[in-house]
Amino acid sequence: MTGNYHQLALAEVQPGMVLSDVLLDVQGNVLLPQGTVLTEAMLALMPRHGIAMLPIVKEEVTPEVVAATLQHHEARIAELFRKNDPDSGSDWATATLRRFITDFRLGVEETPEHE
Amino acid sequence: MSDAMLSYDDVVRTLDDLPSLPAVVMELLNSIDQDDVDISVLAKKVSHDQALTAKTLRLANSSLYGLQVKVTTIQQAITFLGFQTTRNLITAAAVTGCFAEGHCPGFDHKAFWRHSIATAACAKVLARQMRFNQDYAFTAGLLHDIGRLVLVSCFPEQYAAAIAHRAEHDCYLLEAERAVLGVDHVDAGLALAEHWNFSDTMRLAIGGHHDPEAPGAGFLAAIIHVADAIVHALDLAQMQDDLVPPVSTVAWTALGLDEEIYLQLFRETELQYEEISMVLLT
Repeated sequence: MTGNYHQLALAEVQPGMVLSDVLLDVQGNVLLPQGTVLTEAMLALMPRHGIAMLPIVKEEVTPEVVAATLQHHEARIAELFRKNDPDSGSDWATATLRRFITDFRLGVEETPEHE
Repeated sequence: MSDAMLSYDDVVRTLDDLPSLPAVVMELLNSIDQDDVDISVLAKKVSHDQALTAKTLRLANSSLYGLQVKVTTIQQAITFLGFQTTRNLITAAAVTGCFAEGHCPGFDHKAFWRHSIATAACAKVLARQMRFNQDYAFTAGLLHDIGRLVLVSCFPEQYAAAIAHRAEHDCYLLEAERAVLGVDHVDAGLALAEHWNFSDTMRLAIGGHHDPEAPGAGFLAAIIHVADAIVHALDLAQMQDDLVPPVSTVAWTALGLDEEIYLQLFRETELQYEEISMVLLT
């Protein structure tokens, strides 16, 4: 129905994802309407209805959203480390931790590769 | 009286009023560095406490331990996970339910446990990396700030004042405790460790987690110190005014890990934290 969807194998579908189209069983009966937010319980019942693939709405990840998330992380890190002077020579261990945390937060957003 | 600073002895005098842990948990804590404990007797004792058993088994069956089979008794958990790990889980399940949510304005009981559980998870991951005993690290991480609960339970009004002081000056809570109460959560933690007869390993870790450079603090103190800072930095306790404590260069150097390992460690800590907190905080 909507242009922005993809067919996902059942194993890849997570609770909270949204159906982009009406879901029919093999007999053509309506199982779930379009726009349903899938729950764990619904997904558990899919094999019983012979459903192996589901049409799922693609999450819109616009550059603006990404930028806003990164900015939010950066601001929060600065707040948490507000007692640390990154240029202080004696407090270098805290500064190193700060750098690693920053890499972790800002790097992770770009490669959300969760199995 | 209300303005008087507390002393270590004042803290010690109030410890008898604290809730006590189930006897079997005390026994487990006291024997953490002994290997000759009669396992079957302990398993039987724990099994009499149904709530404790249920929580322990849920932890054991979480993906943290990747068991292929579901364990349904303490004895089975010991068979599959080993005695040390099971003992750990029992302790975690018991301690997190032991202190009642108090009447200390400004103290966020849930956030306290989120931080402690996250530190336990992080310390365990760090310990594995360092080939240090993961079970000691987990338990020490869980208990490192236990002195806070002592102060909150025994001196709720004074502790509320310390929390207000911290907010006003935006200083570390440790500093606020010293300024307002005269004792800090490290002192209180040590007093409790004495009272509950914790092993020396735990005592050193609780006593040294803010000062791992002190002579004799031991390697576990360094692990807990770094884990504590990482958890603050990862924002796992979700406290608005959280603050990353200064990281000891000595402790950081002692661990000697590079960035790649830390990034992996952050990821694992977050995953494990989520799972453990689902069991312990619900």
